[in-house]
This record gives sequence, C-alpha cells and structure tokens, in this order.
Amino acid sequence: MIVPLNALRPGDRGIVVNILGGPTARQRLVGMGLTPGATVQIIESHQYGPIIISVGGVRFAIGRGMAAKVMIRKL
Amino acid sequence: MMKVIALAGNPNVGKTTIFNALTGLRQHVGNWPGVTVEKKEGILEYKGQKFLVVDLPGTYSLTAHSIDELVARDFLLKGSADVVVNVIDATALMRNLFLAMEILEMGLNNVIIALNKIDLAEKHGIEINVKRMEEVLGVPIVAMSAKEGAGLDELKEKIHLMANGMLKERPVIPQYDPEVEREIEHIMAVLKGTELGEEYNLRWLAIKLLQRDDGVIKLILRHLGSEKLDEIMGHIAEVEERYKRAMDLIIASQKYEFIDRLMHRFVRYTKVEGESFSDQLDRFLTHPVYGLLILFGVFYLMFKFVFAVGLPLQGYLDDAFTAFGEWLAPHIANEALRGLLVDGIIAGVGSVLSFFPLVFLLFLALSVLEDVGYMARAAVVMERIMRKFGLPGKSFIPLVLAFGCNVPAVMATRTLDDERDRLLTMLVNPLIPCSARLSVISFLAGAFFASHQALVAVSIYATAVLLALLVAWLLSRFVIRGEESPFIIELPEYLIPSWKTVTLHSWERSKEFIKKAGTIILLGSMAIWYLSSYPVQMGTGGSYAERLGMFFEPYMRLMGLDWKAAVSLLFGIIAKENVISTYGIIYGSEEAIVGAMTPLQAYVLGMVTTLYVPCIATIGAIRAESNWKWATFTVVYMISLASLVGILIWNVGTALGY
Repeated sequence: MIVPLNALRPGDRGIVVNILGGPTARQRLVGMGLTPGATVQIIESHQYGPIIISVGGVRFAIGRGMAAKVMIRKL
Repeated sequence: MMKVIALAGNPNVGKTTIFNALTGLRQHVGNWPGVTVEKKEGILEYKGQKFLVVDLPGTYSLTAHSIDELVARDFLLKGSADVVVNVIDATALMRNLFLAMEILEMGLNNVIIALNKIDLAEKHGIEINVKRMEEVLGVPIVAMSAKEGAGLDELKEKIHLMANGMLKERPVIPQYDPEVEREIEHIMAVLKGTELGEEYNLRWLAIKLLQRDDGVIKLILRHLGSEKLDEIMGHIAEVEERYKRAMDLIIASQKYEFIDRLMHRFVRYTKVEGESFSDQLDRFLTHPVYGLLILFGVFYLMFKFVFAVGLPLQGYLDDAFTAFGEWLAPHIANEALRGLLVDGIIAGVGSVLSFFPLVFLLFLALSVLEDVGYMARAAVVMERIMRKFGLPGKSFIPLVLAFGCNVPAVMATRTLDDERDRLLTMLVNPLIPCSARLSVISFLAGAFFASHQALVAVSIYATAVLLALLVAWLLSRFVIRGEESPFIIELPEYLIPSWKTVTLHSWERSKEFIKKAGTIILLGSMAIWYLSSYPVQMGTGGSYAERLGMFFEPYMRLMGLDWKAAVSLLFGIIAKENVISTYGIIYGSEEAIVGAMTPLQAYVLGMVTTLYVPCIATIGAIRAESNWKWATFTVVYMISLASLVGILIWNVGTALGY
C-alpha cells in the first residue's frame, strides 16, 4: 500500500518510493537521506505541525506539507 | 603561500569542534565576498609549517540551492583548497557519505575523511572497520572523537602529508545504472570539444546537467548553445519517462544504493536499537502541549540567568565609564573638547558598551542550548504557532535573541536557509523589545504605576510581540510574498556542550556588537552631544535639539506628548536607553519627570519608545544583511506603526477618562 508520509502513525515503518513536488524541496529531502529506497520510521505525529521521523539513524522534524509529498510503501 | 585546508561536512557533525581544535584562538570570522555567509578562517601550525584552515558552511549536499551550498561548492570546485577534510558523522554514515560522494564526484584528489564521533557509533552498535573503509573508498580516513581530542594528531599528520604531496589517494566514485551511465557518457562526449574540460570535471558537469542544476545549465548553454542543450534535455526527459521519476531522484537514489553496497564491506551493526532515550525525550520536548510548556520554562530560566548575572555587571561597567569620564574631565582644558569626549563619546559609547555583558551572556546561554541540541526542538514546537503568521519555526531563535539586543538578532537571521524567511524575520525583529527598551519600560512603569508596575510592563511587551507577529503576517501576505519554505530540520543527538566551543562562539558573535558600538554609536553620540550643546546648553530651550523637538511638537501632540518627548525619542534613535537619560537632562530630577506627565502620557511614551525606529546599530545591521531599501522600509513602517498605536492609546485613554 502506497501512502503519503503524513498518513502514517507513530511506530509505523515504511520505504520511500517517490517524492513529488518541486526540485528545491525534493533535493533538500534527498540530501538529508530521505530518498527512494530509504526506510522511515515515524516517531511522533500530532494533528498539527511537524512530524518527527527517523531515517538512517537520524531524526528529523518534517512539515506536514512536505510530508504529504513523500510517498511511502508501508511495511 | 600558505597551503589551504578546507573543512567540509554536514551540519552537526562536529566540524566546528575540529576547526577550533586545529586553529585554537588564531581564527577570525568575516563574510564570504558578496554574500552574508560566515567565513571562518584560522591558522594551523604543525611541524613548523603554517596552514590556512577554512571552515566551509555546513551543507547536506552540493546541489546548490542555498547560498551556503553555493559557497561550499564553488570553493571546492575552483580547487581553492590544497586539502579537503570532509568531516563525517560515524553515527549517520549513510547520509554523510552522500556528501562525501558528491565531493569525490567533482574529481577532487585531495580529500581526507575525518570519521568523527567514532566512540558514539560504537555505543550505538555500529562497528566500522576503518582500514577496510579506507581501502573501499580509496581515501585516507582518520577515526576521531573530536570532543575527547582523539585522532587530532593523526589528522594533523595526514593533512601535513597530503598538503606536501606525500599522501596519494585513488577515490572511488559512484557508478549508476547502465542507462544513466550511457547518458553521462553521451553528455561527456558532447562537452569534450569545448573549453569546459579544462576547467571542470566533465563527469561532474554531466551528472549535474542530468540533475538540471541551474548553474550548470547556464554554464553549458553558454558553451554549447541552446540547440545542443535542448537535444540533451530531450534525452533526459526520455530516460525519466522510462523510470517514471525525476532525474535528480534517480541519481540520488542510485547514489544511495551505491553507498549502501560500499558500506556492507566495512560496517557491521551489532545491535538492533529499540526506542532510545533520545526518542522518548523528543516525543516529550516536541509535544504540542508539554513541549510548549517546557519551552517557556527553559527560556524563562535563561532570561533569569542572563539578567541576574548580567545586570549587576552592566551596572559596574556603566559606573566605570562614568568614573572614567569624571577622572578625565579635569585633565582637559578645552571646554568643547572636554564636552565632546566626556559627555559625548564616553557617556554615549559607554552606555551602549555597558550592555556587552548582557549580550554576551545571552549568546552564551543560546549557544549552550544550541549545542545541547535543544534549539532544533524549540523550532519544531514554535513551527506550529509561527507558521500561522507566515514565519518559519526556525526564526524563533533570532526573535528570542532580540529580547537581548536586536543587532546580533538581525545577524542571526543568517541561520535561516530561505531568503524570504530571512527578510521577514529581519524586518519584524526590531519590534521585539530589547534590553535597552526594558530599561525605559521598567523606569516608566516603576515611576508612574507603583501598584500596577508588572502589568504595565507586560502589556507593553505583549503588544510589541503581537504586533511583530501581525506585521509578519501582513508582510508575508502583501509585501514579501513567495512560496513558503518547506520545513525540515535535523534533530541532532543530545550532547553535553564543549565549553571551549561555546565560549569561543559567543565571543565571536558578541564581538560584532562591540564593533557596531565602536563605529555607528560613536558617530551618533557625537551628533547628540553637538545637538544638545550648541548654540547653547540643553535645558535652556535654545539648543538645536530642543528647537528640533519643538518643530515636531504638533505631531507629538496627536499622541498627547510634547516637545520634550520628541527630543528624547530623537536621541533614543542612537540607543533607546537615551530616552530616559534625555528626560533626565531636560527635567533635572526624577520627581520633576513624574510631576510633568500623567500616567497615560507615560504609558504612551513607553509604548512609542518600544515600537518606533530601531536604534541606529539595528538599522545598520539590517542594511548590512539586506540593503538600504529594506532598512528604510523598516524605519518607515515602524514610525507609522508607533504613531498609530500612540495616537490610538492616547485618544481611547482620554475618552475613557484616564
């Protein structure tokens, strides 16, 4: 099942399959390690505001708008 | 010529610690030519040879989008460094090797990898065979724990060897799928006939063109013409069609796959990590409710500390300057010169310089919070609130700094990676009441509102902060429009800060404050002194300052104030605490001031002092960080806002019978 990152719940894990959106945002994510093939785990997610995720041993906070553009295959 | 050593790496990898360890106190900070990106340089001396160490801005990749990335990339690309030390964080190898691969892909043959935080990696169960890693990557690697000082000597030795041509490397570079490689070769073949080959690594250019890098597209357009470029771009679109993905994503993910394959040859993970203490702490600290409460607590304690320690120091310094002036006065025979030196320069510059302890302590406290790793969490908590006003959560830090002093706060907007966010934060920054305005507010609140002192002070602060948010919202809506920057921030590992790094950093930051005081405020103080001493002493009604004040009196009357307020506010432009000291000069005593104004007038004065024109040093900082246009804009909008609020409060207050 492929869903946007913001649809996952805390504790969920998934693999990035694609990143939509403009090149600037996309390349920023990629440089930080959020690239197709990477495994993502959701640490914390509240109704509003950034989502806390962990990728490759590093934690990030990512805005909801951005997260909606990261497509994930849920594990 | 000194050999140049460049330090490159991701943010939060310990680059600064290594830089400080290599250069000690022999470093200075400036700006890269033409841009406001911090340029840190220092001298390393090893075995009798001196090296110039340049700390490049921390970046995640060299796909140039921000000024930071562009600066780092141009420096490396131009071959300005004899040795490039790529600092990488052993606990986040995958991502750090991404930048390493981008550096090696440029065709650089002078790279040393400093594998930092190796002790931390072991603790996390990441076992790295450094010898193997060296073979696989084909570059010298130094395992380090910079905080403990481990590996520093080996790093210096390798820098020394490589800079003198005694250490060679054969770096590995990423290989992509055959289809992508074919594209790369095709572009390289086309570029071969041009002069580009002499200046750049063709493979690097080809890869960047595939990624549609703006700078590289322009470069190639100039050398190939649009027809050939279009043909290449057409090719790229076809490949993307087959992959069903944008080319920059294809290249990035294949680069990560390549790195993954390399890593299997030298890394072993010995334990699977469950939820760590950091994860739990993060859930708590970034929580919309608890996180916000903690944030207020942390910043309350911080200000408490800064003022508890800083205010007495400020008092001593202020006394010292006064004493110095009094000591100097009898030694100068010429009356005009004595006035200029003692009442103008020493009193003026001294009153501003006495704020130095406050500024330094604030920077110290913030550096500690930053190094502990808390600031990133604070930005996450504030993101929820500030985004509603068009500001990113990250601008919270410069805005908090402004409570201490607007000048370093304006400079701190450099940490924002988006130009629009930077400008917005800079323009609303002076609305946040700095410690100079605190002195005015607390004087007026104390003298006129004995029973409601705190309430009055808080209401002025709250109004200023709310107006700052409102103005940010208006500006982002109507003046500085443009796409909101995406929010993504790394939450670095919690760490105990290194005192050396923290103190050095705070000193570097607050030094700029002294520089400003030394120049702009010096000139301003001289101007004040002149206006208030000629053609006759102030207090007689005939000085230039008083005449100016009377000129503005009709305007001041709209908000219930008189010419004396105009003079005070005028002098407050130099430094806001002048507002009260000028009143002091005009009236002679505190009782006289209290007798001359109603509480409502005092309240209006406090509010207007807080909101109108920032001090000269802040205007100067805004100009330096942007341009004259925005500096002027800030002055105009703030005067208008202050007048509006002043007139409103006066009229509503009078109507209500105060």
